[in-house]
Amino acid sequence: MTRPPKCNSRSSALRERNSGCVICRDGAQGNKVRLRSTAGQNLAVKVLRLAMVLLIGNLSQITASAGQEVPISLGAAKEQGRHKSRFLKEAKLTAQAGDAIAAANVEDFERIVGPVLTKSCLGCHGPKKAEGRLRVDQLNADVPSGPDIERWREVYNVLTKAEMPPDDSKEAKLSEEERGKIVLWLGEELHKASVIRRSSKAESSFRRLTKDEYNYALQDLLGVEVEFANKLPPETASEDGFKNRSDLLQMSATQFQAYREIGLNALNRAVVRGAQPQTVTYRILMKEQMKVAASAKGAKTFDKDHANYKKLRNEPHLLDRETGLAVHNPSLSTPPQQNISIEPPLPLSSVVWALPQAGELKLNLDRFLPDEGIMRVRIRAGRSSMNSNEYASLRLVFSAHTSNNASFSQTISSRDIPVTASAEAPEFIQFDIPLNDIQRNPFRKLATQFPRRDEFLHIKNISNAHGGEERLSVLINDVEICAPFYEQWPPRSHQNIFFESEHKGDERLYGREVLGSFLRRAWRRPVSAEEVDPYMVLFERYRPGFPNFEEAMAEVLATALASPEFLYLTPRRSLEGGNAGQSRIDELAFASRLAVFLWASLPDEELMQLAEVGKLREPAILTAQVSRMLEDPRSKRFSRLFVDQWLGLERINSVAHLNDGALREAMLAEPVALFEEVLKSGGSVMDFIDCNYAMLNERLAAHYQIPNIYGPDFRKVSITRQTNRGGLLTCAAMLTINSDGKDSHPVKRGVWLLQRILHDPPPPPPPNVPQVDLTDPEILKMTLKERIENHRNQPACASCHSRIDPWGVAFENYDALGVFRTSIKDRPVDATSELFSHQRLAGIDGLKRYLLMERQDQFAEAMVHKLTAYALGRPLSLGDRVDLEKLTAEMRRQNDRLSDLIQRIVSSDIFNSKE
Amino acid sequence: MNAKTRSLSRRAFLRGTGLALALPWMETFSAGAFSKNDAPRRFLSVYHPDGVGLPLKSDPAWEDWSWFPRGGEKDFTLTKVLDVLEPLRNDITIYSGLSHPAARQVHGHSNADQYLTGAAIGGQGTYQNTISLDQVYVERIGDLTRHASLVLSTNGGVGAPRGAQTQSFNREGRPIPAMNKPRQIFEMLFVTSGRDAAERLSRSKSALDLLIENSRSLRRQLSSRDQETLQHYLDAVRDTEVKLAKAQRWIDTPLPQVDARNLNLDAEPKEARIFFQTMYELVYLAFLSDSTRVATFQLGRENGEGPHDLLSQAVGLPGAHGLTHAVKKPDGWQNLGTYNRYQAEEFGRFVQRLKDTPEPLGGGNMLDNTFAMHGSASSSFHLSRNYPIISAGGKNLGFSNGRYLKFGKGNEDNQAGAGIVSDAGWSGKVAVEELPLSNLFVTILQRLGVETDSFGGYTGTLSRV
Repeated sequence: MTRPPKCNSRSSALRERNSGCVICRDGAQGNKVRLRSTAGQNLAVKVLRLAMVLLIGNLSQITASAGQEVPISLGAAKEQGRHKSRFLKEAKLTAQAGDAIAAANVEDFERIVGPVLTKSCLGCHGPKKAEGRLRVDQLNADVPSGPDIERWREVYNVLTKAEMPPDDSKEAKLSEEERGKIVLWLGEELHKASVIRRSSKAESSFRRLTKDEYNYALQDLLGVEVEFANKLPPETASEDGFKNRSDLLQMSATQFQAYREIGLNALNRAVVRGAQPQTVTYRILMKEQMKVAASAKGAKTFDKDHANYKKLRNEPHLLDRETGLAVHNPSLSTPPQQNISIEPPLPLSSVVWALPQAGELKLNLDRFLPDEGIMRVRIRAGRSSMNSNEYASLRLVFSAHTSNNASFSQTISSRDIPVTASAEAPEFIQFDIPLNDIQRNPFRKLATQFPRRDEFLHIKNISNAHGGEERLSVLINDVEICAPFYEQWPPRSHQNIFFESEHKGDERLYGREVLGSFLRRAWRRPVSAEEVDPYMVLFERYRPGFPNFEEAMAEVLATALASPEFLYLTPRRSLEGGNAGQSRIDELAFASRLAVFLWASLPDEELMQLAEVGKLREPAILTAQVSRMLEDPRSKRFSRLFVDQWLGLERINSVAHLNDGALREAMLAEPVALFEEVLKSGGSVMDFIDCNYAMLNERLAAHYQIPNIYGPDFRKVSITRQTNRGGLLTCAAMLTINSDGKDSHPVKRGVWLLQRILHDPPPPPPPNVPQVDLTDPEILKMTLKERIENHRNQPACASCHSRIDPWGVAFENYDALGVFRTSIKDRPVDATSELFSHQRLAGIDGLKRYLLMERQDQFAEAMVHKLTAYALGRPLSLGDRVDLEKLTAEMRRQNDRLSDLIQRIVSSDIFNSKE
Repeated sequence: MNAKTRSLSRRAFLRGTGLALALPWMETFSAGAFSKNDAPRRFLSVYHPDGVGLPLKSDPAWEDWSWFPRGGEKDFTLTKVLDVLEPLRNDITIYSGLSHPAARQVHGHSNADQYLTGAAIGGQGTYQNTISLDQVYVERIGDLTRHASLVLSTNGGVGAPRGAQTQSFNREGRPIPAMNKPRQIFEMLFVTSGRDAAERLSRSKSALDLLIENSRSLRRQLSSRDQETLQHYLDAVRDTEVKLAKAQRWIDTPLPQVDARNLNLDAEPKEARIFFQTMYELVYLAFLSDSTRVATFQLGRENGEGPHDLLSQAVGLPGAHGLTHAVKKPDGWQNLGTYNRYQAEEFGRFVQRLKDTPEPLGGGNMLDNTFAMHGSASSSFHLSRNYPIISAGGKNLGFSNGRYLKFGKGNEDNQAGAGIVSDAGWSGKVAVEELPLSNLFVTILQRLGVETDSFGGYTGTLSRV
């Protein structure tokens, strides 16, 4: 095969080919069916794209080796690529995991490896050139214990990725057999190096809880769903993006004081004092409102015969469904009542508030809403029509308008709740809003009337209702607002701490009981009487300063929440005998590690009890518990935190070119939904590279121009190649965060792929690299891709960029928001590129095909590395290589099942290790 | 000058003012905590709503009643609005061409909230503010004094989002309630014993002791490297103990004794002159006694009725806010200018007072160690651009005064937005170039000793200041 021309000339050559169209016609023949099914204006461009794919396909070794004229499908690539896996062949390496430390095999180096290196590499990496400051003649052959371990790892990496030797080199040739010999020898030596370092305790997983974990731990411990951790400073992310890495989690006086403050506030939310506070209840029954509204002076009534009926019915109105009488947008008000129950529900009636799309029902609550506690808003509503293409959901907004230009409004519901019932049989939709946490009108207690004191609750209909005669509205029968609302008194969060006991009358006895129970849950282990003693001393010291037992005790419990026993994940040593026991954590510490990994929180009672009797690590029980944990809603935290950090999704909040909030939410949710789908359906991690389905909701489907997806919920949708989606690489979020505010950014996309997906991060840019000179008129004329190529051709930049840019260029068919495109500024998109190894990639399909055919092992290793790094919360080092290799081999043998990987990680040696 | 003579001259001065002020804590400090060059660096920001009068050149009122000075950096002339500051000419600096970029097209009534924060709070909908300039400084020096900062306003409390009644916002962007009753302020500064605080502190101390004990037992189970990690926790607890000890010092130190007989502590805004002067006097006393080094004072909320509206009665004029709307009525510009003049006069009185007081804990006078600024988040009628800002003092911090500093381009005569009376003005296109006020804030912070090169998302200082 002849070497393809250099980048610059190649791109112009390609443009010629595109415009010449000779190849297009040739290439298109085999694919008539596909072409015919492609409609309209995109046809010409698709022909071009297809031609490019075919052209590159002809050149590439993939098709050459597959012996086909057209590129194989991605599904077939997935299957074929799998057979290349070394993990499915090398039984030996992985079986050695528990081996004794072996000596370096210098003999094979001298006999086999050394001569090959001298023959193939010395020309560039020897006394004459020493490129990359590597001299193969100076590498110490004792890999495991010698000084050149890092160099040897680099050699191993470039050889296994076939990046070296470059295939345009005349003298440096390496046969596959020779390559195999070096890789085999070096792999074994690195393995020995790992075993040696494994016992040297390089890193520790002793760490404090992260901000998120602390937040969820408090929520679960106290049973209060409040965002507690906002006061804490943000965490530092590791180069892998993870925020739970032991060596990066800081502690400072400010942070410590924040823990103390948050802990006390949280306890004050959980416990109550005295009698149940009086509740304020607003009950708005539309039938009663109608009586007032219809007879009010200037009431705008209408019915079906009204000249403006079509317009009016698409604005909020009160409607008597029996008589057809309607009142256009009357103002509603109901004086609050004290201490009435909201049971039984108000009667159903024929009068409803009709709330069309984007409409709202605005209630003036005046100044009577209490300061604290939960406001329960209960709305009985149904849909005006049951068309499955339309959905409607309710959202709560709270506002005040204190004086001119001093207003605010804030969405207070955490999510929109869909209305699913019919108008004939409306159902309750319920929101619980913590009044302490929302913006209130600061003037509500003024004795005077100005600034204005009122507060307003808006019920909004968030819907996709579209045109048509009977456009979907939400029909509301009644609204009830009750605050502070308690399911029971004292609330459960209070009773969890101050439970019933026969010793309740004896503060000392009862105090010990309360402390014993609370400390066990907070510290995730049983506590001894000696450990309770000092807390009892503290209680007795505090008690005189407080009016009652509960308040004094809350202060004491807050102290326990600032203890390192709560804040830190402690690798307590197992008391089991033998070597295994010495290096393992005990079961309770294991339960904590497990809960932090999969729930970002504390172990629940079931895990605690199993750990206390030493049964949690029994294989069958552990498997069942992990499955239970993954099915529990708390595992959603794991999916979100892991995926956000793994992929760097947080950056989407600081992207300047994305202003559509609903789209941003949908973009953020997609990769998490895909991860959960793969996890829960027993899918393969290779689905992250490509799959024939997508996780979509209406907003995102619209963005991807995929029709007939309705509603805000994400669901699995089958897709074809023509949608240009499937897997993580083409998720709009990835493409958006790796853009520069206006257009795609191939360099960012390339770095992202290397760092996040292939776990092969490029080195940071060296100091004093020349900037792209945007004042140069020649450079201004270039397309972005051309600019990048120009930059890459400068010697100072080439060595890194030639390893980065080609990956990113393959994404050029996606714009700054990840929308598929076939032209940029009226020029066809050129998404072809050539990797450092001269492998050519044609657009995203070419990239995916290459990854699936040639890089499955690398991605599998990357996935194992990322998930294990997150699970352990510590940096991974060479000493972990043995275990990572073992996990990778096990996962690959289990068809790359993600759920299996998680099961294997938690039962692995490193997850159970004290380090 | 030794401590004794300085103290004597100070007492002599104080007698002259009719105030008996005993400062027992000062001996404590001069003995140990501070060297003579360690004079406290102080910061005050005074905010007034509704901007200033800015008639067009073609208007006959322009000559006398346009707020900004005429002329160059040093050879500027003050109009009738600011001529009351002529005696302090060499102690003040007047700025033009500064504003917070995010607010330039937001209605002026919404913008008091962001004057010291620079946050993009917008004109409606969800609201999020950020930390204010004064509180950034407080984070650095707040625990050196009994009170971290003194937050004052005529209306008190926090006000509403986009209708702030306080100038100070914490790290999370939450408003810090302002005090507005002179008696309460006085009692907090000089009377309240802090027994509750003492009780809380003592509880904290026991809790910290217990936590240290907890860590010790945990420590025994850890490897030596993990012990190092736990050491960070222990250090954090110990640092907290040190902070508590500092707080304890204030509890143990007797309160400054101030004779309140000459203060009218029941003054209300409707007695504008007395109220103004009492509030300024309280800031002065708080600074003098080193009870705090940071103060903000908001003279009224933007828009609407309220106690602040009565302040203009000091110069015999009706509602202050109404003056900005009545500029096209007969004597309109003059009335607004007269009220602005009165605000400047009271600020000047305060500045003069600092200048006349020798620095109790160092050389020079108190003004040399105090940076006091006075301004608004609108220039003319609802227009959130070209903030009218005066600063005074700060010589020992590196400020050189006696200057009129114009920044930006295209508005040398301060005519952009002048004379506007409709909404087209405040929401209109930004046609002239102004610099971010945050650049001045960075300069101020650096000179106060805060190591930072950005504020509110804007990097860099302001040249020439």
